[in-house]
Amino acid sequence: MTSDPIAESFVEDVGSAGLIVTCGPGGVGKTTTAAALGVAAARAGRRVVVVTVDPARRLADALGLDEGAAADAPHQVTGVSGVGDGELWALMLDAASTFDRLVREQTSSVKQADAILENPVYRAISGSLSGAQEYMAIERLHQLHTSGEWDLVIVDTPPSRHAIDLLEAPDRLIGFLGHPVYRTLTAGQRAFAKVTNAAASMFLWAVRRLAGPQIVEDTVEFFRSLANIEPGLRSRAEEVSVLLRSPAATFVVVSSPRAEAVGEAEHLIGALRDGDFPFAGVVVNLIHPMPEQLTPADRAALADIGDGPLADHLAWHDELTDLATAERDEIAILADLAEDVVVVELPLMSVDVHDVEGLIGLADRLVGGN
Amino acid sequence: MADAGDHWLQSTRVAIVAGKGGVGSSTVAAAYALAAAREGADVLFVAVDGRPGMGPLLGGRELDHNDHILRRLKGAGQVRGRTIPADQAFGDYLELKGVGGMLRRAASAASLPMIAAATPGLEHLLVLGKVKELERDRAADLIVVDAPPAGHAAPFLRSAGGLSDVVQSGPVREQAVEVDAMLRDPARCQAMIVTLPEETPVTEAVELANELNGDIGLALLPVIVNACWSERPGLAKSPAMAARSQKVKLSAAAKAALASSSDFGRERLERQRQQIERLGSTLALPMVTLPRLPTPRLTLHHLGILADALMVSPVEVPA
Repeated sequence: MTSDPIAESFVEDVGSAGLIVTCGPGGVGKTTTAAALGVAAARAGRRVVVVTVDPARRLADALGLDEGAAADAPHQVTGVSGVGDGELWALMLDAASTFDRLVREQTSSVKQADAILENPVYRAISGSLSGAQEYMAIERLHQLHTSGEWDLVIVDTPPSRHAIDLLEAPDRLIGFLGHPVYRTLTAGQRAFAKVTNAAASMFLWAVRRLAGPQIVEDTVEFFRSLANIEPGLRSRAEEVSVLLRSPAATFVVVSSPRAEAVGEAEHLIGALRDGDFPFAGVVVNLIHPMPEQLTPADRAALADIGDGPLADHLAWHDELTDLATAERDEIAILADLAEDVVVVELPLMSVDVHDVEGLIGLADRLVGGN
Repeated sequence: MADAGDHWLQSTRVAIVAGKGGVGSSTVAAAYALAAAREGADVLFVAVDGRPGMGPLLGGRELDHNDHILRRLKGAGQVRGRTIPADQAFGDYLELKGVGGMLRRAASAASLPMIAAATPGLEHLLVLGKVKELERDRAADLIVVDAPPAGHAAPFLRSAGGLSDVVQSGPVREQAVEVDAMLRDPARCQAMIVTLPEETPVTEAVELANELNGDIGLALLPVIVNACWSERPGLAKSPAMAARSQKVKLSAAAKAALASSSDFGRERLERQRQQIERLGSTLALPMVTLPRLPTPRLTLHHLGILADALMVSPVEVPA
């Protein structure tokens, strides 16, 4: 249970969504918030999977994602019970193995898939290609959502300064595949020596000069084999783009009340709106409590007390009041962005959440206890 | 105060400042640059991901890819600042290697993203390579690198090692080997880890220290614990007892108001002490604590307070 007023529209949006994407800057408790939203839904009787990227160690332990666990496979989180058949599962995203799965799905033969997967260039870039991690988070979301096994899929995205990283990842991947040099390299099955397009041969020449001949062969081979899966990648990126704008999806921005984080949250909210993505609200986490205030008479009585323990009390009271006031000013910036921006405020907790009990407490604060 | 060059602030020529997201590592990097410049050093502040606001925070213009003086201090001391965009680093690198217009045109026809995709980690390596060139040319007494935030600091610094596995020959390999040599030489380059006196940031700082020191071979400067509350030993007493010991009469309302902040404060300060102790006992590194500033929006004045705190000798780890 909670005494905070909770915006009904937020509860409704996250309660009915089939897909929730949490995004926000680093260090604001984004993964914890995603997990707590999962706990809330599981307790309400839904079958939920939370996909995270890089959870803090103790939170990972709480979710059963300890180091021994295989990456990229869902694990059931124990200790979450509620009405009906609600279940919470968690999965740690591994961009490289999601990419591998995609390659296997999109190729027509095992041999073709192996050729890509064993390519040294592929192995080196599958986790680090520009936008790959963000794209794979979205790709995994699509795959889990369409499997029909889950009532709700929650994806905790990599920390991002700009929403653009996440939302433009499919476009960036398509842009890469559409690059003229790439197109030439992948057109037909001509031998490398016969690449005649000037830009492409200059590209290969540049790579050879800079990085040696072996990588040129691997690169050409990689681009060629990728050509087989390109149509699949392209249509998948388009499906994902539609899905993320559908009524099934909703985005939750997570922030802290620090100026820097609030600035980044503002950018994210703007980008979500510009892109017509459904947006449930912003969760502001880690808010310092506002102390009760001293009356002017009491303050006057405390004006010249000199050093001592009471001076420590007063100094601390003032320090905390200043910080809490400044934080509330920052939160007001978010609330003022637009009339319909829902801001859910969460206090700084006395201990970091690192077990299911803590997540249940946070879930109650997010969507109301029952 | 120590002579210029004696203080740990100037114990290396390139200081890479890194921390997980939200710990204030960019601010600490800026304060570090200011502190060293106050000691008379010519300091170059390098922002890798070009986050806005860092130039003005240091008292100058917004950073761009040109080297600008942001602030002059006493003697030769000054802070300069710049960013290093990967595409510019690439152009400079080709220039440096004396490759002709043909290769430059090829590079621009193919565009950096294509080449970078074919050569993973290349963008990071190019930026580190540029830092290495600046260091080799003695472009400044001290180069402070504000490393990418969040989970990206380690991959950024790992690019040199990763690339030499994939790339067997050519100038990229040469560059990777040279960057790796710089990262492993403490006289040339060290890393400074920034954290907060809280549980998860301390755990992540320990992990980052192991990655940077163990895997990449970087020597570590003192670890910085940012945003520490001042100790308030008086909070151990209740407001009523504290008032009695200072012979002040407090109203019931005033006692309640002070209790509403001090209950939170006792717990917060206890947690802070525990986490600082845990950090000290886990990492065998000297430590500097920086005060928590009473505002979410920092100015040059606040940066000065942090620079003062950095000048204080670090707390040595008990043997």
